[in-house]
Amino acid sequence: MKISKVICTSLVLTIVLVVSLAPGFTTPVVAQKQQVTLTAIVAEPKERWDILFNDALQKLREKHPDIDIQVDYRVLPYDATRTQILTAMVGRTPIDLISVDQIWLGEFAQGEFLTDLTERANTWGKEKDWYKTNWDGGKYNNKVYGIWAWTDVRAMWYWKDLLNQASLDPNSLKTWNGYITGAKQLNDALKGQGIQGMHLVGASHSPDMWYPYLWMLGGEILEQKSGHPTKGTYWFPAYNSTEGVRALEFIKEQINAGIKPQINHFWGQEFADKKFAVMLEGSWLLGTFPREQWANIDQRVGMLPMFSVPNENNMTATMMGGWILSIPETSKNKDLSWELLTLMVEPEVLTPMLQKEGYLPTQKPIGEGPYASQLNTTIPYYNEMISMISVGHSRPNVPEYPQIADNIKQAIDEIYFGAKEPKQALNEAALKSAKVLGW
Amino acid sequence: MPSIFEKAEPYLFLTPALAILLIFLIFPLFWNTYISLHDVSLTTILRGWEYIGGTNFINLFNDPNFYTSLKVTLMFVGGSVALQFGIGMLMSVLLHQQVRASGVLRAIFIIPWTISAVIAAFSFKFIFDYNFGILNYLLNEIGLQSVGWLSDPSIVIWSLVIANVWYGTPFTILFLTAGLLSINPTIYEAAVIDGATKIRSFIYITLPLLKPFIVINLILITMWSVNFFDIQLIMTGGGPLFASTTASLYMYRQAFEFGLLSKGASAGIVLIAINISIAFIYHKLFRR
Repeated sequence: MKISKVICTSLVLTIVLVVSLAPGFTTPVVAQKQQVTLTAIVAEPKERWDILFNDALQKLREKHPDIDIQVDYRVLPYDATRTQILTAMVGRTPIDLISVDQIWLGEFAQGEFLTDLTERANTWGKEKDWYKTNWDGGKYNNKVYGIWAWTDVRAMWYWKDLLNQASLDPNSLKTWNGYITGAKQLNDALKGQGIQGMHLVGASHSPDMWYPYLWMLGGEILEQKSGHPTKGTYWFPAYNSTEGVRALEFIKEQINAGIKPQINHFWGQEFADKKFAVMLEGSWLLGTFPREQWANIDQRVGMLPMFSVPNENNMTATMMGGWILSIPETSKNKDLSWELLTLMVEPEVLTPMLQKEGYLPTQKPIGEGPYASQLNTTIPYYNEMISMISVGHSRPNVPEYPQIADNIKQAIDEIYFGAKEPKQALNEAALKSAKVLGW
Repeated sequence: MPSIFEKAEPYLFLTPALAILLIFLIFPLFWNTYISLHDVSLTTILRGWEYIGGTNFINLFNDPNFYTSLKVTLMFVGGSVALQFGIGMLMSVLLHQQVRASGVLRAIFIIPWTISAVIAAFSFKFIFDYNFGILNYLLNEIGLQSVGWLSDPSIVIWSLVIANVWYGTPFTILFLTAGLLSINPTIYEAAVIDGATKIRSFIYITLPLLKPFIVINLILITMWSVNFFDIQLIMTGGGPLFASTTASLYMYRQAFEFGLLSKGASAGIVLIAINISIAFIYHKLFRR
């Protein structure tokens, strides 16, 4: 009994001693900052996000000195980004910020994965600063679900020496006839050198390279139509119009001229490796050249800010891509995420990233304002690319778009392999698309 | 008289295995069936799922691309299994001879199987590339025209078969070698004394004794080829003109590219049915 009393007393004394010597007892208690970690899923490449998150986070911390803010962002390959976002949304995982490809927006919004940002965007009042196509690209059913942060345009790139070798004036490539004649001329001149004249996309994104021809003729991919069995007025395939058929006939002419569709796509590397003399590719093609070559790349590589037009009176068209920043419905820090998002697209934060990576702005103050000269001096053909934004179109962001694009791809493939005539191929594809859209 | 615990003991030992089977096989199977009978897409997944009975299966069987995918699957699986088994059998028999360094050769032959299918697919994508590929480079070097290995609808499936055979054959070599090693060598010695030639020994001793291994190998490589989609997805994405879209790739694309989860689930059920039928057919064929 006595021994147990001694043991108990020593135990209590030891505990009191340890607790009283603990740091909390010896030093005055400092009020703990509220800790917030914002999580994000974004698409590769990583460098662009490192720049953006770093600069925007610094500004966000300055605005909220009372909060200890961290950003935990995961950078994933393109396809994995979509899958991971969907998995996270379905599993109700709290994510605060995501990068969304414009064609995913409708699907994500319809699935109630994204936060409606309309009110926040109205209060922000920056809509007028965005190019209209780019602002509208962040909307679905008239509600804002994301802010289109930067874009890219597709243009015609050519090797000057190879065109010289074929005695081909690059300006002749501006028209459809000139493009076809040029293809034959280049193939003849470059025969035996392992270089092909013109590149033609045969990979899964082949529809993206056909749309500009459709748009420049005044056609559309989808149009609103009344009388839908369940939705009243809804989208209906319009790509099989006379404009669509004409646009696809031009693709057929390219095949007949000996241009071979390329199943594998290396996003401009094949051009940089001089496997093709002419390539229609996005503005990211410049990124395949070492940065130190940018200063005088225009001496070797030429660029026409256009897709060829049926005749010189036609206005050209191009397709715009890029990334939209959105806040998932599952975010637990929507206000803070919105602040971070708006800081990331502030010209002061965004411009250095665009300058470093070679992307194009979606905002007029960057594209045309005081920041433009900064970009113009570093990004080759910057002014020419910016001029294309006015003729840039975006793809419909309806939830059914992936299936519709697949139908169009099949029609294009049928032309590539001579299985069908353009009109028949497009009509059959449109029939399938109509079914997909619920007609 | 055994106690209740003693009676239950064997079943208790089975519990972990049954639990794993239930969680990882039976539950997903029932869940997949449940999804296939409801209207579930990425845009409706967070809302109530409407029961639609067999509509997904009707849509599936009304889709001409699904039939194309079944035809493509038949060619892909037929070609892959025939070549994997044929080459695998030949190699394992050759390696079973008293060849010097056969152990090293076995280790070398197994390398493709240890590589990720994704890496194998990317490698073959570059080998078969029309412009950059080494195969066309070699053809051009000997004065032949480039071949559209991945761009010609009539050739593409055979290019995928080649990639799958390269990737899958080592398993057959390994499996059949294990089978050959299990055969008692004295049987061959007795056969030699009786005057049997090597070919007759192979037909009348090796093949019958190897039958259980052959059946299991055939079932496994057939099912794997039916379910395999990494190579198709990476090398061609199913194109051109669906010429390389196997049923497994069709299922993946419906569910994860188009967001039609219930249609993808129905295609999955059909694939399970195909796999069970294949196992049944093999079992019947080799029962005797």
